[in-house]
Amino acid sequence: MTSPPTGRGPRPEHRRSLAAGLLIGMAVMAAADEIVFHQLLGWHHFYDRSTTGVGLLSDGLLHTAELLALVAGFFLCADLLRHGVLAAAHLRAGVFLGLGVFQVFDGIVDHKVLRVHQIRYGVDVTPYDWAWNLSGLVLLLIGSALTVRAARRDRTGPRR
Amino acid sequence: MRQAHHPGAAVAEWGAVAELCSGVAALAAASVYLLSARRLRHRGDTWPRARDVAFASGCGAMGWAMLTETPGGPFTGHMAQHLIVGMVAPLLLVLARPLTLALRLLPPGRVRRGLLRAAHARPVAVLLSPPVAALVDVGGLWLLYRTGLLAATHQHPVLQVVTHLHVLAAGLIFTFSVCQLDPVRRRWSLAARGTAVLTVGATHSVLAKGLYGSPPPGTSFATHDLRTGAQLMYYGGDLVEVALAVALAVQWYGARGRAHARRSAPEMWRGPRVGHGREVRGVMSHPPASRGTQRP
Repeated sequence: MTSPPTGRGPRPEHRRSLAAGLLIGMAVMAAADEIVFHQLLGWHHFYDRSTTGVGLLSDGLLHTAELLALVAGFFLCADLLRHGVLAAAHLRAGVFLGLGVFQVFDGIVDHKVLRVHQIRYGVDVTPYDWAWNLSGLVLLLIGSALTVRAARRDRTGPRR
Repeated sequence: MRQAHHPGAAVAEWGAVAELCSGVAALAAASVYLLSARRLRHRGDTWPRARDVAFASGCGAMGWAMLTETPGGPFTGHMAQHLIVGMVAPLLLVLARPLTLALRLLPPGRVRRGLLRAAHARPVAVLLSPPVAALVDVGGLWLLYRTGLLAATHQHPVLQVVTHLHVLAAGLIFTFSVCQLDPVRRRWSLAARGTAVLTVGATHSVLAKGLYGSPPPGTSFATHDLRTGAQLMYYGGDLVEVALAVALAVQWYGARGRAHARRSAPEMWRGPRVGHGREVRGVMSHPPASRGTQRP
């Protein structure tokens, strides 16, 4: 009851919508990585023995966190939706940001810094790394642009 | 004891007895639960059918894992058994709220008081706290797969039975403390319980990846068998972790819904029907004649 409602209906919750999108985006990209690159293509290895202990631990934490994020994101979304306060533009922006954040993090920290596993084995991995990280960057940029646009739109017009 | 590579006569005999006992125990537990739930419904209480289904399938899964030959090589089979006994069955059993059922059904008296006292005892509360429960769960797994314990269970059938019992007990304790569906002494926050799931899940996947690379000390499983078992542990663990997360999220969702309803109730009832919802507390401080009349 902090904001006495003057307009029609409750105000959309921008930050929560963005957070829900972020959680879902990161988890979806992680799931896509697991399904496409580990299972379908068989490029990533489940465990290559060059992985350090720290790498293994961070991978385990990240992997479990993604699972929890997926569930948390969807339930957060459902909660916003049932109270009619889901901001669709912010949710969309959050999803793209999440997709990009995971892709870039996976490409740089997991593959290169911690060397959890490589994108593909038995080939020159450099072009794959470039493609991987650039695609992540593109997603991140799209997400940022959408976030800025969503923020600007609700400053100029209260509708939506 | 069903590992094919150590076929000792005494071991096989012990194994048969243990299998039979676990099968009978699972059947007995399921029957007691279902009969109790039936009595409760006959009495007029509501008790969701889904809980009956959860408990019966938990017992069924346990019986299946203990009594039948699980597919795959010896390590894969062992892992399938452990996934069911230590993770899947405990979740199904805990979701059925057996303690709540017992407390509802037992007549007031010594047994009920004893059960309640046990559920609220301090040592039990410590054991059921998410950090301790997580440590018990993960510690046991670590001992089993990273010391010579697994190899030792192949020689000593008693140890094998004890290990199975520990896996079941640790799984039950962890799931119970995370889900927190039954009435216990201390309630833990969602954050604490979520952290416990995260920690245990992370350790579980680290262990699984480690097993993929190197077998438990003192054992010699075929490489393919080892890797299949390790991946089963990893992805099977994922499924149960997601189920646990959903159980937590459902609680959060319900609590948020109730909180929202409480917050908006006074506004909704504003007008002629004063004295509803939150204002009930104020009734005592006001003269009753001014408002109490319209309350049902």
